[in-house]
Amino acid sequence: MKLGSKKLPVAGPYRRGYFPSLWRDIWKEWDLYLLLVPGVLFILLFKYTPMYGITIAFKDFNIFTGFADSPWVGWKHFEKLFTSPDFARVFQNTVIISLLKILILFPLPIIVALMLNEMKNMIIKRSVQTVIYLPHFLSWVIVSGLFIDLLSTNGGLVNKLLVSLNLEPVAFFLDNSVFRSVLVTSAGWKETGWSTIVYLAAFSMVDPTLYEAAKIDGAGKWKQLWHITLPGIAPIIILMFILRLGSILEAGTEQILVMYNPVVYKVSDVIGTYVYRQGLGNQDYSFTTAVGLFEAVISFTLVIVGNALSKKYLQRGIW
Amino acid sequence: MRQDLDLKTISASAGVNAIKPSTGEKVFTVFNYFVFILIGITTLVPFINLLAKSLSSEDAVVSGRVGLFPVGIQFETYKYVLQDSLFLTSLKTSVLLTVIGTGLSLIMTTITAYPLSKIRLRGRKWLLLMFVFTMLFSGGLIPTYLLMHNLNLVNTFAVLFLPAMVNVFNMLIIKNYFEGLPDSLEESGKLDGAGNIRILIHIMLPLSLPVLATIALFFAVAFWNDYFTSMIYITDPDLKPLQLYLKELIVSSSGDFLKNNVDLAINMTPQSIQASSILLATIPILLVYPFLQKYFVKGVLVGSVKG
Repeated sequence: MKLGSKKLPVAGPYRRGYFPSLWRDIWKEWDLYLLLVPGVLFILLFKYTPMYGITIAFKDFNIFTGFADSPWVGWKHFEKLFTSPDFARVFQNTVIISLLKILILFPLPIIVALMLNEMKNMIIKRSVQTVIYLPHFLSWVIVSGLFIDLLSTNGGLVNKLLVSLNLEPVAFFLDNSVFRSVLVTSAGWKETGWSTIVYLAAFSMVDPTLYEAAKIDGAGKWKQLWHITLPGIAPIIILMFILRLGSILEAGTEQILVMYNPVVYKVSDVIGTYVYRQGLGNQDYSFTTAVGLFEAVISFTLVIVGNALSKKYLQRGIW
Repeated sequence: MRQDLDLKTISASAGVNAIKPSTGEKVFTVFNYFVFILIGITTLVPFINLLAKSLSSEDAVVSGRVGLFPVGIQFETYKYVLQDSLFLTSLKTSVLLTVIGTGLSLIMTTITAYPLSKIRLRGRKWLLLMFVFTMLFSGGLIPTYLLMHNLNLVNTFAVLFLPAMVNVFNMLIIKNYFEGLPDSLEESGKLDGAGNIRILIHIMLPLSLPVLATIALFFAVAFWNDYFTSMIYITDPDLKPLQLYLKELIVSSSGDFLKNNVDLAINMTPQSIQASSILLATIPILLVYPFLQKYFVKGVLVGSVKG
């Protein structure tokens, strides 16, 4: 820019107004803008066109009539949504599963990272890290296969253990009272290790002289944790929490789709799996688009509100 | 200065404070190592169990005698799976998808990230907002499905990677990395008369190899692991990737399992076939993972420190 501007007449871009100068800039660095063309086209086609497709939530869409010619029906599908017992159950499952996951699985990586950080033996620390990051790289299909095997009533290790302790074997995948714990546990097994990376990175950004000063003042490990480490990584915790808020209604659709079965639909059918079955299975396009829109709007609002609150009270946000 | 402080801490810990916290700290250290050994074992047990099952004889698996060690070793299930044409077709699809998808996505994501990393780019703020907005809000499953349907992409190989080519999150990591490179590099390129594209290819890309390798790994893992896209758009058995094949294998045999829940002797053969298939699908990742681990952890940190 410094070099380029020497060639311009000094008052040039200011006298010409916004658009002429914009064109001038684009002309000058056309290659930079050219690089952007494929990306912008892609995002317009594959991300923004479906946003226009949301209009079918307010229409009686028929795949043969097409987007434009299907009749508008206003809030009909939303009225059905709010009175449908199916949706009430699905919504409740979504919130319960997601809250369980947040309550248990959000603090877990922070605790694990704190404990890892205390490990002084680098060889053991590295090995532990290598092992606990690994499940993150497996697909949900494989994780589900592993857990079905591990928890089966026929020779599954967990049930063998239960039997050897003189307890009743549990059909984990067929039991409405434990299936949600299977979801939470397997999600924890898969992602907890990997989630520690962010917090471990955050620790390295805390000023080490603070610890030295605290030690001189006689602060023990606990005091250092409360007064230096946690405040130091608070911005990252808040950031991760706001990001997590946005997926409350997502609840782990990809996981549940490979793990659930009709026996446990009652406790595990969430918005995402419901939209998949009703929408693509029964081709109930308009209604399930309305359901999807409901989810998208709530998630979007949660992130925006979470960010605003965090900015107001904690002076930190995502943007 | 640093040495000074270290000396102080050493002398402090050698003094009065040394004995009092050390009992507690010792207990904690022992507890800590114990917990992590436990966590490590818990993480590995499912794999070991599966490996044992895949290698055990049929009746040992059926009667549920297999724990962490194989009982009555055999390799028949591996032979069976590796000769199964559906398994091999889906494996080929997955390999192709991972290679093509990763290559194209990396190119698309990088050329999008580079202009957006230039603060002088007019309209940068709006363009960025346009990309980031898609992370916060989306049209949802049904409208996206209908779009693919209208584009005649259903049951094509392209649908497996096309919609995933620009990943905004990965794009932001690469963009942040580019922003961290010194401006003087670009200026020296300009002095030599190079255009932006030449500068990107010959100066910026060689300097960005760590972050590009990391993002490539992320894309590769995502393509290799994706079952959802194929489950929605693919019904043609010749186009099903490995994960979808596995999903159908697992679901159908656990479906049988449902039916025959009480009658344990019936139809348990799929168990070890399932186990070997799952392991065979996991092996590629298990093989490359230890070598890449150090690399990608560093790459992610470099890219995300600013963001």
